[in-house]
Amino acid sequence: MVVLRAGLCPGLTEGMIQLLRAKGIRTVVDFVSSDLEDVAQKCSLSYKALVAVRRVLLAQFSAFPANGADLYEELKSSTAILPTGSPSLDQLLDSGLYTGEVTELVGATGSGKTQVCLGIVASVSLDLKQHVLFLDSTGGFTASRLYQMLQARAEDKEEQASSLELRVQVVRVFNIYEMLSALQELRDRLSQQVVSSTGPLKMVVVDSVSAVIYPLLGGKQSEGLAIMMQLAKDLKTLAREFSLAVVVTNQVTRDSSTGPLKPALGRSWSFVPSTRVLLESKEASWGKATTQRLASLAKSPRQPTGIEVELDIG
Amino acid sequence: MQRDLGGLPLAPALRARLVAAGFQTAQELLDTGPCGLSKEIGISKEEALEVLQVVRQECHGDAARTAGGLGATRKCTALELLEEEQAQGFIITFCSALDNILGGGVQLTKITEICGAPGVGKTQLCMQLAVDVQIPECFGGVAGEAVFIDTEGSFMVDRVVDIATACVQHCQLIAEAHQEEDHLKALETFCLENILSHIYYFRCRDYIELLAQVYLLPDFLAEHSKVRLVVVDGIAFPFRHDFEDLSLRTRLLNGLAQQLIIIANDHKSAVVLTNQMTTRIGQSQSTLVPALGESWGHAATVRLILHWDNSQRLATLYKSPSQKESTIPYHITSHGFRDVQPPAVTQTAEDTEMNPRKRPRREEEK
Repeated sequence: MVVLRAGLCPGLTEGMIQLLRAKGIRTVVDFVSSDLEDVAQKCSLSYKALVAVRRVLLAQFSAFPANGADLYEELKSSTAILPTGSPSLDQLLDSGLYTGEVTELVGATGSGKTQVCLGIVASVSLDLKQHVLFLDSTGGFTASRLYQMLQARAEDKEEQASSLELRVQVVRVFNIYEMLSALQELRDRLSQQVVSSTGPLKMVVVDSVSAVIYPLLGGKQSEGLAIMMQLAKDLKTLAREFSLAVVVTNQVTRDSSTGPLKPALGRSWSFVPSTRVLLESKEASWGKATTQRLASLAKSPRQPTGIEVELDIG
Repeated sequence: MQRDLGGLPLAPALRARLVAAGFQTAQELLDTGPCGLSKEIGISKEEALEVLQVVRQECHGDAARTAGGLGATRKCTALELLEEEQAQGFIITFCSALDNILGGGVQLTKITEICGAPGVGKTQLCMQLAVDVQIPECFGGVAGEAVFIDTEGSFMVDRVVDIATACVQHCQLIAEAHQEEDHLKALETFCLENILSHIYYFRCRDYIELLAQVYLLPDFLAEHSKVRLVVVDGIAFPFRHDFEDLSLRTRLLNGLAQQLIIIANDHKSAVVLTNQMTTRIGQSQSTLVPALGESWGHAATVRLILHWDNSQRLATLYKSPSQKESTIPYHITSHGFRDVQPPAVTQTAEDTEMNPRKRPRREEEK
C-alpha cells in the first residue's frame, strides 16, 4: 500500500496528487484499480497523462508471473548445497544445507544446537572457503571451541587463522530490534555489493531466535507475534534474494509439566523454516556423560520425516 | 533506508495507524516530515516529532554501521573474539577439579547457572566466588569486585569472613614461597576489610524488586567499573510462589535473562545464578530437574548441577559451549569450597569436613 507521492514516477506531480487525494485516491492500489475515464472527468486531468502514470506504476509495483521451467532453471543455477561437514547430518538434510532456505535446529538444553552450528561454521569456512555471518543472541559462541574444531579438521595453522579472521563474522545481538537492525544492515551491504571483507557470503547462522522473541510473546500483548513474523519475513527474503543458507536454532517447551517436548514459538513459527531437525541427547543419567546425540528430521520438503541419525558433537 | 515499519520500536496502536495510512518503509516517514505526518494520521505534532526521532535514531544507527563506523554494535571477526577469550581471566573456585571441568574456572562474559537440592552448597559456592573474584592478578585472579543480589536471605557475613580469611592465608603462603615484589605489594591491599568492602550486597524480597534491581544494575556497574562478578542467589525463589500467569512468568524470566546477558557482555563480568530443583513425575519414576521450566534452561550458557551420591557431594557440568559433560566430587570445609582430600594427606580435613551450619546428609556420629 504505497502512498502516492510526487516524484514516484515521471508525470506524477504534486498538483496531480492533491487533486487525486481530494477524490479519495491516496495509494497506488487505489489509483490502478480505479476507472481512469471517471477520474479524468472528476479531477479534470488529462486521460493520456493518467494512463501513462498507470503504466509506469504497474511496471514498478506489480509482480510478474514466472514460468515454472524458468524458475527451475534459475534455481538450478543459483542454489548451492553446502555440506555440513558431518556425513550423517548431510544424509539427514539430503546432502547438505540448501541456499535460499531456512533450516531450523530444535533441541532441549544441552542437546548440542550451538555445537552443531559451530561444526557447520567450521566446515563451511574451512572446506568451502565461504564467508559466514553468526548472529549470537545467547552469548554461547565460544571462539576457542570453534578454533578447536578447525584444528581438528585442518592441519595448516595458517588456514585456520585466516579462516577465523576473514571468513567468520560474529555479531552479538541481545534484543529483537538489534537483530532486525543487523539483518537490515546485512541486506544493505549485500545489495550495494560492497567489495570488502564480506566477500562471498553464503551462510547466516542465528543462534538462537527464540531467545530474542520469548520476552515479547505471551501475556496480554499481541505485539510479539507481529515482530516474530517480521523477523521471519526478513530471514526468508534474505535467504531467497541473496541465495544464502539461513540456519536458526530454537528452544523446546512443554505444554504442561508432563507433556511431550515440542519446538518453541508456536504454530506460526513452525511454518517459517522449510527444514526442521530435532536434536536429543541419548538416554544417559548424570553419572555417564556422552557426546552422542540423536538427530531426527521433523519437517522437510524433500525427505520423508522421521529419519534419525546419530551425531557426535565431541 | 528501506527499513520496514514492522521492525521499528514503535507503539502498536501508532504502527497500526501508520500502516493504515499507507506508510511502509522508514524512508517514507522521514520524507513526510512532522507536519505532514500529524495531518495524515491524526496525531499531535509532538507525537509526530517523537516518532520521527525514533525512526531517525534507528536509521542513523544503521547508516553509521554500514559506513564502517563501530557505533554500539558488538561486531567482530572470530579471530578477534578468540584473542579476547584467551586474554580473559577466570574466577577460580579453589576446587581444582571443578576448575578443570569448567575449563579454568567461572568464565567472564557468560551466565553460569548453579542448580542443586537444598543444602548441597550453592550459596557456599557463590560466597566463595565473591571472595575469589577479588584475588589480585599476580596470584592468578581477576582483581575485580562483586555484586551479590540475595533473594532468599541466606547470605551469612561471618561465613564470608571465614572464607576470606582462608583465602588471604592461602595467598600469603604463596607469597612466602615465591618472595616476589608484586606479590607482597598486592598482599598489602588484599586483606579482610578490603575484601568485605568490595562485595556490594542487595536484598530483594520479591520479583518486582529483583527486576528493578537488574534494570538499575547497568548504571551501578557504570559507576563501579571494577565489578567482575554479579551473583543472583536464588533466582527461582521469587518466581515460584503465587505466580498465576505462567506465560507472564516465562516472559519476565526471558527478559531478565537477556538483560543479564547484556550486562555480562558489556561489562565483561561473570553472572552466576542459583536455581532450585523440582520433581518431575514421569511414567514410572520421578526425577529431580532444575526448576523454572524448560525455557529457563536456555537462559544460562553454562549449567552446573550439584547433587548428592550417598554422602558425597558431586558437581556435574551439564551444559557448556566448550567443555564436555563430566562429574567431579567436592567438599565444603570451614575454609570454603575445596577438593576432596585424598585420604592419606591430612587428618584435620576429617574434623572440619561438615559445615556446622548445614545439617549433615545422613546422621553421622560427628
